[in-house]
Amino acid sequence: MEIKFGGDFTVPKKPEAVYDFLVDPNRFCPLLPDYQSMEIRDEKNFLVKLSVGISHIRGTAAVKMSLVETERPKHAVYEGNGDVPGGSATLRAAFELELAAGGATKVIWSGQSNVMGRIASLAGGLLQPLAKKNVQKLIDGLQKALT
Amino acid sequence: MAKTTRVKNKRLKAAAGSGKSRATGAPKWVGQPIRRVEEDRLVRGKGIFVDDQKLTGMLHIRFVRSSYGHAKITRVDVTKAAALPGVVCTLTGAEVKGLVKPFIEIGPDVGQKIADYPMAVDKVVYQGEPVAAVVAENRMAAEDAAELVEVEYEPLPPVMTAEDALKEGSLVHPGMGTNRNWHGVFEYGDMEKAFKQADHVVHIDRLHFHRFSSTPLECNAMIAVWDSRSERIEYWSNNSFPSFAAQFLSPALGVRIDQILMKSFDIGGGFGIKITNYPYMALCALASRKAGDRPVKWTETRTEHMQASAHGNERTFLDTRVALDKNGVITAIDSRHVDDCGAYPRYEPLGCVIWAQVLPGSYRVRNIRIDMNQVVTNKCPVGPNRGYSRMQQLWFLERVLDICGHSLGIPTDEMRLRNYIRKNEMPYETPNGCVYDSGDYAGMLAMGKTLVGWDDWKRKQAAAREEGRWIGLGIGSTLDSGTNNFGQARIINAGAPFSGQSKAAIAKLDIYGEVVISMGSVPQGQGHETTAAQVVADVLGVSPGHVKVKPGFDTEQNAYTGHTGTYASQFAVTGLSAIHGAATKLRKEMSRLAAWALKAKEKDLEFGVGAQGPEVRDKRSKKSINYWALANIVNVNNAGMPEKLWDVTLNCRHVYHAPFQLPDVKKKFGNLTLTYAAQIHVAVVEVDRDTFQPKILAYACVDDCGRAINPRIVEGQVHGCTAHGIGAALMEDCAYDGDGNLLASTFSDYTPITAMNMPDLLYGHMESPSPFTFNGAKGMGEGGAAPVHTICAALQDALYSKGVIINDSHNTGDSIFLAVQRAGTGGFASSVRIEHRRAAGRSAR
Repeated sequence: MEIKFGGDFTVPKKPEAVYDFLVDPNRFCPLLPDYQSMEIRDEKNFLVKLSVGISHIRGTAAVKMSLVETERPKHAVYEGNGDVPGGSATLRAAFELELAAGGATKVIWSGQSNVMGRIASLAGGLLQPLAKKNVQKLIDGLQKALT
Repeated sequence: MAKTTRVKNKRLKAAAGSGKSRATGAPKWVGQPIRRVEEDRLVRGKGIFVDDQKLTGMLHIRFVRSSYGHAKITRVDVTKAAALPGVVCTLTGAEVKGLVKPFIEIGPDVGQKIADYPMAVDKVVYQGEPVAAVVAENRMAAEDAAELVEVEYEPLPPVMTAEDALKEGSLVHPGMGTNRNWHGVFEYGDMEKAFKQADHVVHIDRLHFHRFSSTPLECNAMIAVWDSRSERIEYWSNNSFPSFAAQFLSPALGVRIDQILMKSFDIGGGFGIKITNYPYMALCALASRKAGDRPVKWTETRTEHMQASAHGNERTFLDTRVALDKNGVITAIDSRHVDDCGAYPRYEPLGCVIWAQVLPGSYRVRNIRIDMNQVVTNKCPVGPNRGYSRMQQLWFLERVLDICGHSLGIPTDEMRLRNYIRKNEMPYETPNGCVYDSGDYAGMLAMGKTLVGWDDWKRKQAAAREEGRWIGLGIGSTLDSGTNNFGQARIINAGAPFSGQSKAAIAKLDIYGEVVISMGSVPQGQGHETTAAQVVADVLGVSPGHVKVKPGFDTEQNAYTGHTGTYASQFAVTGLSAIHGAATKLRKEMSRLAAWALKAKEKDLEFGVGAQGPEVRDKRSKKSINYWALANIVNVNNAGMPEKLWDVTLNCRHVYHAPFQLPDVKKKFGNLTLTYAAQIHVAVVEVDRDTFQPKILAYACVDDCGRAINPRIVEGQVHGCTAHGIGAALMEDCAYDGDGNLLASTFSDYTPITAMNMPDLLYGHMESPSPFTFNGAKGMGEGGAAPVHTICAALQDALYSKGVIINDSHNTGDSIFLAVQRAGTGGFASSVRIEHRRAAGRSAR
């Protein structure tokens, strides 16, 4: 089950500063909704544990994240995959940074997730709104941290 | 709650008569609607199902299943699971690969290149496929441990439709080099001439028979014990074709077939799909051996059952051309069919020929060309679901007939009457050599129309249309072909080592005079114990209560052949013929013995029930000997028994062989099945103008299964298959998304039909005795999914004027809404095209 989102926001920081924030897992990952912990494997690979669930399907998701594309200060892409309760999920999150008026940065983001397994059939109808809510939480968190 | 209104056919009444045999005056039990003897123990909770079995030291297995429909397995780690308290052992695909050979494949050529292991080895090909297993002291520990198994995947592009499979973009089994598992052309008659002479040609782009499954109350269940000391594997399972399963398990597990012992007890429904649970039987056996020969039980959850047991075949019908004469008589059908058998062709590609048992359906068309294909996709493997393979063909033909009728402005009842095979043409040989034994389809339709009040509904329909309501009347004509000839497997694969059909039974007069019948059938609600007792009671002149029937399959205790199982609508023919044969042999032995004991002639003996119970008496001397005394002569008190009677054992085995020949493999010609029961259903359906929800307003089903052994059981079977069909038509759909997720893995999403959703049924019964069976009976019970055809026909009638073509077997409020929307934008024109070639041509009749 594929879920796609995208949008943009502007923050009053230079692209370099925004970029450095986004590619630093220690600063970026805690903003992920229901973040529990993180284990850094190397500078581009880390394991994030998130508390996830819908209704009675609840538990901890261990998501392997990799920073797969970087171009300072314009472009960063994360990819991840992991087991979630009742299934598996893959995700890709891309950020394009543009210099905006007054030295601010416009962050154009897109996200894509594929949820597989029982969770998709049991809660397929709920995943889209839940994902939307969680993505909004992440964007709100990013905006707050970069403001 | 549905209720039934019955119509008694005069012939049925005559057959049941006064309950007395015309010949002897003794009670005649065949034809009586006696209560099922099984019911008492089943409704009181005294049935013995697999999960009721608790063996000493028994362990429980839990499978870890793939989330993905198609993915490489990059890592499986069972370390944490194995360390959990209570866990005895684990299994992984890599380990299983080293322990078993891939299952044999029925199909030839590319099909032989599939490596079908019971557990995924290096890639998964459907969601829910087992990738690991945990065996523990109790079920909870096994479930907890299974959650600790770590599996990593690398997703691959899934193949989710038959059309995509044919594009060969992504391969389900790269070793095959293609997704097309089987291909063959079935061509009969003179197609070119028929189309050249046609007055009308109707083109239908695409029809689609959806994927649904039966939902037995009891999911798959089994216990396996690999006994290393006796070098045998013992199974208690609810597999409904154990002798078939053993033929797959034996080479895979590397044991002789006689080392595999199978037992079944009561089974909570099967409908065919439990035939293919043998991969789990292999895994349970391996787990038992690894756990030190301890018994291992697996009871499937409902979600597992929905995801990974077996679904019914999905079929797409492409580029159909239909030739008709000026009267609307169909003279030729040309079409390309693509069957989707899911990820593994287990029992397949037999479905690629089994449909041909009903090649022309109930119709006289002689020129037919079907380009038959079967593909593998990343969906749950299919199993022979109730009405297996024939219902798809029958639905296709019914859609063709309806679409042609509407296109030519011929009422759908009249369309059928013009095309039906006539009663006086029976036995009727179809273009591919099948022989329809008997039937009166026009008579059945007349009965169905009377039951439902057709003419009255036509008037109501006209009035309703004036009010803007959408009401349709539909007819579904189906055949329930029974007693299959396994020789048809050779049309699929000339080297297939199967042919014919047989069943075995043993009739015994036990040591204290009990009549005991042992048979290897695997009943799941069909009432085998009752009908067997009725047949034997008539042979021996006793009542069914005097006959003890041992049901279930048991390789050590009961009679069986390589064909034994419950499938293909055949027990009334094959099972009861074997029992009748065994009982007749027993009667002969008892006659010889009684003649000696009573100093009488065999011709003067009669069987009946006297003051001391069942007995044999001499009509001349009025002397009699009861069954206990007869059994005593052979088993206890046999000094002095003359040598000429030493061959009397009172333990008589009979094997019934259906009278089949091998088909002509090249011409794809031959008799593929023995009997043809028929069902004709008539429905009135209204589509709500606001919600687009279809609602059944009236429903009639007429059944003809030849001589009914027990009309009560026949009626119950008709109810069951009608419920199944209505559920399939309006509610049940094993839908997948494009990524390989099954979207209906629970009953909340699948919404199987219940009594609360059933309309009231109007039931009628006719009897056209089969000339090919000892008692005129035909197999029945699968029903050919008559309601799917009927409801589609009624929806077509309701919506044709809106430009809607019903081209899918599953129709809901959503899909009807979309169809109406599409029709408004020209969808109709693109799906059906009509060529009117002559204003007044010849009739092909």
